[in-house]
Amino acid sequence: MRPIRIALTKGRLEKDTVGLFEELGLDCTAVREKGRKLILPVGDGSIEVVLAKANDVITYVEHGVCDLGVVGKDTILEMQGKFYELLDLGFGRCKFALAVKKGTNFYSGYGVKTIASKYPNVTRRFFEAKGMDVDIVKIEGSVELAPLLELSDGIVDIVETGTTLKENGLEVFEDVCSISARLIANTVSMKLRQTELEALISKIEVYFAEKAQ
Amino acid sequence: MNKFDRITPEGTRDALFAECTLRRQIENRLHGLFTARGYSEIITPTLEFYDVFNRDAQPFQQEKMYKLTDAKGRLMVLRPDNTVPIARVCATRLRDAKLPLRLCYNQTIYMVSPSLKGRDDEISQSGIELIGSDSRMADIEVIAAAVDVLRSCDPEYKLELGNAALFRTLIGQLSASETVKDEIRELMESKNYPALNDLLDTLEQNETVSVLRRLPRLFGGEEVFEKAASLCSCETVAAILSDLHDLWKAVTQFAGKEHVTVDLGMMHRTDYYTGMILRGYLSGYGEEVLSGGRYDSLISEFDYNVPATGFGVNIDAVVKVLSKGDTPAAELPVSNVLIWAAKGCEADAVSAAESLRAKGLIVEHSLSETQAEAHAYAAAHGIESVLPITVSKAQIQAEAGKDA
Repeated sequence: MRPIRIALTKGRLEKDTVGLFEELGLDCTAVREKGRKLILPVGDGSIEVVLAKANDVITYVEHGVCDLGVVGKDTILEMQGKFYELLDLGFGRCKFALAVKKGTNFYSGYGVKTIASKYPNVTRRFFEAKGMDVDIVKIEGSVELAPLLELSDGIVDIVETGTTLKENGLEVFEDVCSISARLIANTVSMKLRQTELEALISKIEVYFAEKAQ
Repeated sequence: MNKFDRITPEGTRDALFAECTLRRQIENRLHGLFTARGYSEIITPTLEFYDVFNRDAQPFQQEKMYKLTDAKGRLMVLRPDNTVPIARVCATRLRDAKLPLRLCYNQTIYMVSPSLKGRDDEISQSGIELIGSDSRMADIEVIAAAVDVLRSCDPEYKLELGNAALFRTLIGQLSASETVKDEIRELMESKNYPALNDLLDTLEQNETVSVLRRLPRLFGGEEVFEKAASLCSCETVAAILSDLHDLWKAVTQFAGKEHVTVDLGMMHRTDYYTGMILRGYLSGYGEEVLSGGRYDSLISEFDYNVPATGFGVNIDAVVKVLSKGDTPAAELPVSNVLIWAAKGCEADAVSAAESLRAKGLIVEHSLSETQAEAHAYAAAHGIESVLPITVSKAQIQAEAGKDA
């Protein structure tokens, strides 16, 4: 049988996950010295790590070509899909927030507001829940530009420290929801390889429980 | 303007040659399995009125159905499911039929999938519905058929059992708004342990809440029943659990313990199930290939109060698993005989071909101008023998007439 395959979101979540695996006693040398390789063995070879972009982590897990995945809640909220969301891994913490130009009241006036965001689905659901019609403009790069250039009345984006907002004369007007890294699983893998996957998951849970004490 | 005349719509595709052969083999095998159990095939229209699928529990999302209107402006859909139309037929044309009814089908369903996710919008489904009995034997009959189907596809299959009444009973005991209940349902289905815990923490803590907390984690082999036994003092829940355990014991006797699992938190997207629910998995496919269960109140929504149980198999998924994602090498059948006819002998070639086919040979007509070209064609295509017909019956008769 092929090793358990875990898709990791490249970048910070990858580093944090590797850190977690090493705390669990799994040898991650291959991942640390990966070069340009994208599929790498971990521990005794019973686990394999796949490095992918956040959206692709979900795609690979949904299709079952990867059994587990580590991905931010931001991507999960934007992409959605059919998989199990098993654990909050605690790292990669930040939040989705509605930000506007400093000192403006977003809800004032009767005009329909325009929101710029890299996350149109998250934005749509947030305002739908409020029963509010907004125009959503999808922006790929620095979303902060949109209100500065007066393309939009506000932005919905990931906020960590708020420094970028402050430096561009924006401020958080309202929090949308908090975000952190999640461990997701393919629904069929979870059933067909239950013993192996649960062993790994409970290892992580035990580690978190001990750390919390 | 773009003209889309060279491509198929997203989520649909053309199937060629070997894939069609494999698909037909699987469909025939399943049809054989079903008819050997006394099931009769029915075919319902691809187009149905939207109202047929607009049920109380809203099992089908409006935006996921392909819609169009008929000549009178009424809303129609390409059927997103096979069970609901069959329920409609039972409540109308089969209303006076003797029960139980054993029906099987093999037809496509349509749904709008999120784009660029590599999913099919057109899915071929084969399945059975056993209508008119709420007995345990009816469920077991259906499960046994499911086991046979899965086993015939892959000896390493997994069958998973659950019960839709379990969650329904628990959520009914909960004092919370419908929105919260829906959210719990969603989190339970996606086994989102952390978010489920957070949500349940906000509710008044009682036994039901603590059971709901544990429920999605209770899946696996027989040990699940032990873990669940101490869970709850509620008699209804205990009865459902012991029922499910009995069912599990019966099923493992004919399917083998290694193939049968149970998931107490199992939930189906199509929410018309009321009792036993089942799912089948094959390794190498990321979703269930078989799903079904008992739906005792669906047909009564069409004013005919009969219980029913059944399942459907995703034929496209099975084809994918059995061809291992690869289209099996194009093994086109090779003809045994190539018949070449000289001008004026075409009719004789047809009758000669007929008599050879009657012997079980694959016979192909040569479309070449000359006999030499026909030989070259046969050599290139691996056809063993070439039968040239250079004299027609009419000519022979004419010759014979001259002699006489």
